[in-house]
Amino acid sequence: MDAPIRVEGLGKRFRRYSKDRPWTLQEAALRGFRGLQAEDYFWALKDVSFDVPAGKMTGLVGRNGAGKSTLLSLVGGVGQPTEGRIHTHGQIGALIDLGAGFHPDLTGRENIFINGVISGLTRAEVARRFDSIVAFSELAGFIDSPYRTFSTGMRMRLAFSVAVHTDPDILLIDEVLAVGDMAFQRKCLERVDEFKGQGCAILLVSHDPNLVGELCDQALWLNEGHVVANGPAQAVAQQYAMKMQNETQRRTPASRAPVALANGGELRVNQNRFGSLEMEIDQVRLLNAERQPVERMQSGEALSVEMQYTLPAGLPAPIFGVSISREEGEVCFEASTAASGAQSPGSPGKGQVTLHIQRLDLVGGDYFVEIGAYKPDWSYAYDYHWHAYPLSVEPHLNEKGVLKPPQRWEWRAAPEDDTWEFEPKQSRA
Amino acid sequence: MQMTSGLLNKRRWVYLRDLLRELIGRDIKLRYKRSLLGIAWSLINPLAQLLVFSLIFSVVLPLNIPNYTTFLFTGLLAWNWFQTSLHAATGAIVDNRELIRRPGFPVTILPIVTVATNFIHFLLALPILLAFLLIGGIPLRTTILALPAIFVVQFLFTLSLSYFVATLHVTFRDTQYLLGIVLLLGFYLSPVFYDVGAIPQPYQALYRLNPMVVLIDAYRRILLRGQLPGALDLLALSLVSAGLLWLGYRIFIRASAQFAEEL
Repeated sequence: MDAPIRVEGLGKRFRRYSKDRPWTLQEAALRGFRGLQAEDYFWALKDVSFDVPAGKMTGLVGRNGAGKSTLLSLVGGVGQPTEGRIHTHGQIGALIDLGAGFHPDLTGRENIFINGVISGLTRAEVARRFDSIVAFSELAGFIDSPYRTFSTGMRMRLAFSVAVHTDPDILLIDEVLAVGDMAFQRKCLERVDEFKGQGCAILLVSHDPNLVGELCDQALWLNEGHVVANGPAQAVAQQYAMKMQNETQRRTPASRAPVALANGGELRVNQNRFGSLEMEIDQVRLLNAERQPVERMQSGEALSVEMQYTLPAGLPAPIFGVSISREEGEVCFEASTAASGAQSPGSPGKGQVTLHIQRLDLVGGDYFVEIGAYKPDWSYAYDYHWHAYPLSVEPHLNEKGVLKPPQRWEWRAAPEDDTWEFEPKQSRA
Repeated sequence: MQMTSGLLNKRRWVYLRDLLRELIGRDIKLRYKRSLLGIAWSLINPLAQLLVFSLIFSVVLPLNIPNYTTFLFTGLLAWNWFQTSLHAATGAIVDNRELIRRPGFPVTILPIVTVATNFIHFLLALPILLAFLLIGGIPLRTTILALPAIFVVQFLFTLSLSYFVATLHVTFRDTQYLLGIVLLLGFYLSPVFYDVGAIPQPYQALYRLNPMVVLIDAYRRILLRGQLPGALDLLALSLVSAGLLWLGYRIFIRASAQFAEEL
């Protein structure tokens, strides 16, 4: 059987117009219709070949402008390839630009119908699925209110619910899974997994290599329109993550005056500090529940990681990330503003961002809290502090493993008739 | 295999019908949700025009056309359908960029939606026209059964031009403004507030090259005079519209591959 998505030797050339290209007939006529032709061309994609078999998921990784979204659009039939061919079989569903097509003045109900039909369902099909769409979105109480009264989270839920109730043979996903609250995200991922189980071919665009490594079977790494690597998702995602590290190292300035840290340490570039330093994280404090700086804590206590930064004007709001790793380098915990869907205000000047961890259930031992600020497309770090903030988790008992969640042991004696029951007896004999 | 493709085609038609219905419904709902006056709003514009023109041409510059109000209203309604459709069609692509970027969305439906939406406004005003006819003592004759044929011809003609202006507006964003000027001139060159017969005989043939002349004249013959419209004129116009539609559609399709890039 043919793969639902097959791309052969695909190339896409875009036109670049001169800056003073006339955009009105008046100007064009005044200039004798000159300057209407593109003055330059560039290849957004070149020699791209791959296929996505039924029931498989392929990830597309690469920096912004690498051609991921162009590829996704072309597979969706938006625009024409300049060269090569795209074969698709079956109904195409898309989780791209989810809020599009929803109108603020119409109610949730009206929007579901319009969007369901725009997404490829007939009215009868939308009507049959209506209850299920509403149930999935968890918005039953608001469905007859105007869409404009919905919060951003509610809008995403509604859009996603409609999108996952089409029956696609091919599903195109563009970076949308990172939005919404965690519980809903989980639900969406499960739904995507279900589609896969039903034989849907899925193409996922993301610049988060972790997500691609975790979810996809295969991955394609694009750089400036060319395929850098194409293979098993884990391997490609790792290669891509390495590239990002190299890029960060390449951009790290050769020298910079050391910075004294509140914990007594020092930040030195190329030793424990990497990144382009286009913006800087000035101070980092590890705080306990009472907001006191700590370097030691009990397992299961709360921990806050507070970062003070300076964002120069003109730089887009960075992604902030925190991870906790062992001395040997094993990462035990990782969080980023991008993965949590936390929007940073992005206003230039000094700012402070804090990650609150309600319980840190790590086994006792010595750890480092690594912090970083990254370019919004993850292509390299602006500022990354490595092994600069030690954290000791007590008690040190040389336990193996990583986690130490709240736990207890329970003992029971064997009953006299020697039959075990799984549930404790309600009445005591 | 034959079976499934036949079924698929049937589903495709049902789907396109539903899509058309939802998109028209959206436009109409939005228009009326925003105004307190609701449906009446679509009638206020032609009625206001009617009031002004009938005052001017009955009192200030009397044209001495019998049943002038009804005569004028017929022309106004037909012209307004044409004009508002074209005006809306310039935005059909540019204002729907998220739909254009949607995988699998049939872009060619958008100009149809604008013409059809304005056709519905036209139909909503039609009862008022019929009321004017009855008040004016003009009997409804069986020729009224020919009306749908005129609707079809006007629909096709308007749609063919809509494909052109929608495509042009993507490249030149002042199309809407220039179209406004052309339509204003077209208004005076069409027999909206005067009679076709007022044009001197030597210029009649030239004058009738304007399709709106043929259409408005056809409406008046049917409604006011109980005559059947000139079959030859209408046939010629149908053929021209079909040709223009084919051409406009081709150009639109060719350009549509670029729409997503140009927006």
